[in-house]
Amino acid sequence: MSSENVRFTDFKSDKQPTWCPGCGDFGTMNGMMKALAETGNSPDDTFVVAGIGCSGKIGTYMRSYALHGVHGRALPVGTGVKLANPDLEVMVAGGDGDGYSIGAGHFVHAVRRNVDITYVVMDNRIYGLTKGQASPTSRPDFETATTPEGPKQPPVNPLALAMAAGGSFIAQSFSSDAMRHTEIVQEAIEHDGFSLVNCFSPCVTFNDVDTYDYFRDSLVDLSEEDDYDPTDYNQAKDAILEADKEYMGILYQNEDSVPYHEAHGVTENMAEIPDGAPDGATDLVREFY
Amino acid sequence: MHDDLNWAIGGEAGDGIASTGKIFAQALSRAGRHVFTSKDFASRIRGGYTAYKVRTSVDQVQSVVDRLDILIALTERTVDENLDELHEDSVIIYDGERTEFSDFEAPEDVTGLDVPLKSLAEDAGGAIMRNVVALGAVCAVADFPIENLDESLEKRFGNKGESIVENNKQAARLGSEYVEEHFAEEGPRYSLDTTDNDYVLLNGDEAIGMGAIAAGCRFYAGYPITPATDVMEYLTGRIEQFGGHVVQAEDELAAINLALGAARAGARSMTATSGPGIDLMAETFGLVATSETPLVITNVMRSGPSTGMPTKQEQGDLNMMLKGGHGEIPRFVVAPTSVAECFHKTVEAFNLAEKYQVPVYLTADLSMAVTERTYEPDEFDMDEVEVDRGKLVDEGDISAWQNEKEQFQPHAVTADGVSPRALPGTKGGVHMSTGLEHDELGRRTEDTDVRVEQVDKRYRKVDTAIEQENFDYREFGDSEADSLVISWGSNEGTLVEALDYLDEDGVNVRVISVPYIFPRPDLSDEVKAAEDVVVVEANATGQFADVVEHDVLERVERINKYDGVDFKADELAAEIKETLA
Repeated sequence: MSSENVRFTDFKSDKQPTWCPGCGDFGTMNGMMKALAETGNSPDDTFVVAGIGCSGKIGTYMRSYALHGVHGRALPVGTGVKLANPDLEVMVAGGDGDGYSIGAGHFVHAVRRNVDITYVVMDNRIYGLTKGQASPTSRPDFETATTPEGPKQPPVNPLALAMAAGGSFIAQSFSSDAMRHTEIVQEAIEHDGFSLVNCFSPCVTFNDVDTYDYFRDSLVDLSEEDDYDPTDYNQAKDAILEADKEYMGILYQNEDSVPYHEAHGVTENMAEIPDGAPDGATDLVREFY
Repeated sequence: MHDDLNWAIGGEAGDGIASTGKIFAQALSRAGRHVFTSKDFASRIRGGYTAYKVRTSVDQVQSVVDRLDILIALTERTVDENLDELHEDSVIIYDGERTEFSDFEAPEDVTGLDVPLKSLAEDAGGAIMRNVVALGAVCAVADFPIENLDESLEKRFGNKGESIVENNKQAARLGSEYVEEHFAEEGPRYSLDTTDNDYVLLNGDEAIGMGAIAAGCRFYAGYPITPATDVMEYLTGRIEQFGGHVVQAEDELAAINLALGAARAGARSMTATSGPGIDLMAETFGLVATSETPLVITNVMRSGPSTGMPTKQEQGDLNMMLKGGHGEIPRFVVAPTSVAECFHKTVEAFNLAEKYQVPVYLTADLSMAVTERTYEPDEFDMDEVEVDRGKLVDEGDISAWQNEKEQFQPHAVTADGVSPRALPGTKGGVHMSTGLEHDELGRRTEDTDVRVEQVDKRYRKVDTAIEQENFDYREFGDSEADSLVISWGSNEGTLVEALDYLDEDGVNVRVISVPYIFPRPDLSDEVKAAEDVVVVEANATGQFADVVEHDVLERVERINKYDGVDFKADELAAEIKETLA
């Protein structure tokens, strides 16, 4: 199928999502599919990687080449896919537990490698699929079965982690604001380098604090702030570390970002190999004379 | 005096022991002599005791022996460490001007040659060359033409400029001349014949890296760990020349997931690690197998468990590779038996991985990985390398593998257990892969029939491989002998040499060396025909012996159920009754 004719529904599989009615993940996924179609990608040339949890189901509901991996390891898989075939559009999806707890180590290293992939985190500030335990982004006083008095520790600030690791595209979106979410993911796809989109994706079943209403009332859209310049590092740093406000939009973008595959000269599709040893392999033996 | 010369340099880690050893080993190899090297090293950067040993002969050598003819001792401890191996014709070269040697006396019956290594090195341009002065002294003692050192020195120091090379050549000559002048009448002399042969000298890790590039491996991800790091160091800087790339991952979990991602994208992909890393990779290993992704996972075994003895030999990970991981997973385990086999079996591992869409453990043990050996260059004939990518399908083939809704079936149930494989980017081949049990389309299922079909399909590959591949073994010694010795991994070379000693004692044995652990050759006839069977392996419990025993037992009947539903009492009773009938 030629990319001009791709519609966002082409990225939809025939499986009906088993997410709870009202789950924020529906909106997050729809925005991803729309953004892929808008940026001229086709399912045949797109690879989606997901981990474990509610977010991990996304590979089943989207239609593209995809891998549903083990918990917390989606980013290394996406990195491997992109480096082996830079022609593919690679998108990685995960939850806040997947990305900022079990996979936190990989998150920091994926950011600093700056491989040209788009990472969408469906952040609901709770573990949904295991039925309501605290996540790394849960509030300190958020009472759950495993934290009856709240976690009593500050939540991870994923945007600050990304910035500290040298992130070149750091954004936040809200699954319910379909248009802005789609625009932000679209810009993330178009960015040359690693793009983080932390998408607030409310869990209507287990989280009665970080609700649609909460985000609708509290999120400040940076695109509506006249004096906000996402390419200004210091301004971005202040916004990311701001404790009393939550922002939506592109918080930081480094326009000089050079993606990993360009910096390292990894630009060929590695799937194509000769039928025998490559030309010049005999020189490898000569080295041992 | 001896055809077979055993030489060593010993000192503290950080003294340049390994590079000096390598220079001498290469000089011998270039002079047409066979070489077998071994390293005695500890898990530390500086200090302690470390040695590099070289055994050389005009005939092939493939094991260590406990005799030392010439020893360069940079520390007094070096002499103590090797006391048992010194004999009346041994020569020790040391620097009496060094403080710790001021009162040194060579052990009784052993000749000590006091050569002012440091002073002579300074005369040649710098104290740093004292090891090269010692090599020059060795050339005099061994009557080995010093010109043979020159090419090795050029290779080692060529990139540092011509004057550095010339200074080193001069340092070697000063060492040689000093021995000729001062000890002309003293002590034993050896004679190292040279030949016209030009051998190649390499170790198991290097052979694995070279095999990977030859096989078309383009992507490598790994995390540094002794003794597997040399694979990554070999590939770095070389694989790029063939359009490939090496990623030093943040940990082993990332390493195998990076390699998995590249493999899914269609690259021939590899990771290498050692025991502790294999443990960390175990979860993703299951995903690799269930998603039917071709991947080569190299395990250079060292002494375990936990951190064990990281610089020491062991073949203790067999159970982990054969059985490790939760659930039941078909996996291939290939275990080369010599340095040259590390090359050939690596090429084969990539073909097996893609033909059967399985993870392949390629395993070497520490001894083989760090041991350098000489071979005829044509042992590594690149023209003989064949690449078989298995059932890759293109756009045109895909319609044959679509269901009625025109969806591609990446896990189609086939007679041989191998499904078609569409690489991302192939039109019409869109599909998801997952570690969840899945149907033929790759989509999650808990359907009991589909579960059984998919488990059977994946295991059917093993039967197909046994039918189609030649999972053979190597054989040495007396094929008619009543006693059978079975071995795997690096023990082969030692066993081959042991045959000569056994022969002298009139003991006839048949040796079988097995490079395939799973699937493996059927040894039951051989084992049953023998009067005595001994399995030789570097571990405490006999992990391969267990496997052999298992294979020759009378078969027991089995009742199996793996569809995800509990056994029911009545159906179980019925099955038992039927099985016993």
